[in-house]
Formats: sequence, C-alpha cells, structure tokens
Amino acid sequence: MRVTVISIPVLDQEKALQFYTQKLGFIKKRDIPLDGGNRWLTLVSKDAQDGPELLLEPAPLHFEPSKVYQDELMKAGIPHTQFDVDDVQKEHDRLVELGVEFSVKPTAMGTVKVAVLNDTCGNNIQLVEEL
Amino acid sequence: MTFYEREIHRVGRIIYANRSQIDTVIRTRKYLDRNYEANVNLNLLARTHAVSKFHLLRLFKKYYGLTPTKYATDKRIAMSKQHLENGMSVTQTCFAVGFESLGSFSTLFKRKTGKTPFEYQKEQLSRSF
Repeated sequence: MRVTVISIPVLDQEKALQFYTQKLGFIKKRDIPLDGGNRWLTLVSKDAQDGPELLLEPAPLHFEPSKVYQDELMKAGIPHTQFDVDDVQKEHDRLVELGVEFSVKPTAMGTVKVAVLNDTCGNNIQLVEEL
Repeated sequence: MTFYEREIHRVGRIIYANRSQIDTVIRTRKYLDRNYEANVNLNLLARTHAVSKFHLLRLFKKYYGLTPTKYATDKRIAMSKQHLENGMSVTQTCFAVGFESLGSFSTLFKRKTGKTPFEYQKEQLSRSF
C-alpha cells in the first residue's frame, strides 16, 4: 500500500485551487471533471511532484456532517492538516504580504515552530518547521 | 486566542518543560544535518553535551520520534535523491552521501524508495524531457 492522496474538504474548489496554487505555491496535478460541476482536483508540492497529492474535495457541500465537522474545527482554531516548511517565520511574512490571515503567529515550542493560517475555504492549516 | 492556541501552549509547557534537554537534541539534529555523510559518532556527540551515549539516544528519540542513526539515514537517502535528480552518477552519489559500498547503498535506497538508484535516476531524468 502507498499513501498517494490526502484529502482537504473545501467549500469552493475553484477558490481553493487559486489559494493553494497562487498563495501557498502548490502545483495542479490532476483535474478530472465529475458530475454536477465537481472535480477530482489534486495538487502536489513544487519540490516533491512525485509525492502525495492533496485532494481538494467538495465534501462540505454535499455531506452535512462533513460541513459540521469542518465548521467546528474552524471555530476551535484546530488545523485540518499541516505542511512542513523550512522557515515558518519567513513563510508567515511572505503569506501575510499576500493577504493571508493567521490565527496563530509563528510560535516556537520545544523542537518545533508552528503557525496556523486560514485557507479561506473553511480550514485552518498549520505550518511546521522542525528545529 | 483560539481553543487550539491555548491547547498548544498548555501541552507545550508540559512536554517541552526541560529547556536543556531541548537545546541538546536541537544541537544534535543540527549536527546530523551538517554531518549526515559521516558515520554518526554518538560517543563524540554525547561527550560534547556531557551526557551518556544512551541518554542522548533516548532524548533524541523522545523529542523527534526516531533515533539519530535513523534520522541520518533518512537524510542520506533524501540527499542522494537530490544528487541523482541533478544528474550525479550513482557511484558518485553513493560516496557523496557517505556509503562505503554501492551494494549497501542500492539495497537501502531500494528499501526506502521502492526503486534502485539506477531506476530512480532513469525515471527522474526521463521526466525532465
């Protein structure tokens, strides 16, 4: 077995595609039309294009419990998932310049430094740097 | 402040309470990042931090979740992938990341990535055309 897809529930696939590619810097890998305007839409990291794909999934639009779960995570500030970066402070500063909002500013804790941003599509995303 | 932020501060105060241990493991990790191609000399590392070799090993595993040796091995494989992608020969890559024989490098590379270094490089280079 191999890990190839990690799903992120999003409220608007097109908006999410713009945010994750233009702001966060991911690259679109697959875009397959499905019924009802939904898409199988996946992204990869620029420097690991063979790595696992992020699936931007419109689950909250079609399955109420997914929406409820997403809303509650958002309210509590809990990240849906996290991405590794080389320098959390630098990435935070770059993203703030682009208008991205953070609920947790870069915070060093023991052997990690973390920050949490709003992906504008219903999720908190944590950035992590190993110290 | 969100519930999550309060929680990470609360949990952080508990699990990261020992500053000198944290400083030791962070310095160890930085050392491994700089010296991954050399054989990891835990004795030397431990002496530098005035702790026993086994204590250092336990501390590293406690904070990073894996042993220093395993950490350095993963680093070597990651670096060898980069070298291969940049077109360095398999033999050169093997020695550049600190393996002493092509056999042990190829076996480990295959175990970690599912491909031999030759297969990996062929695939990567054909992709760039």
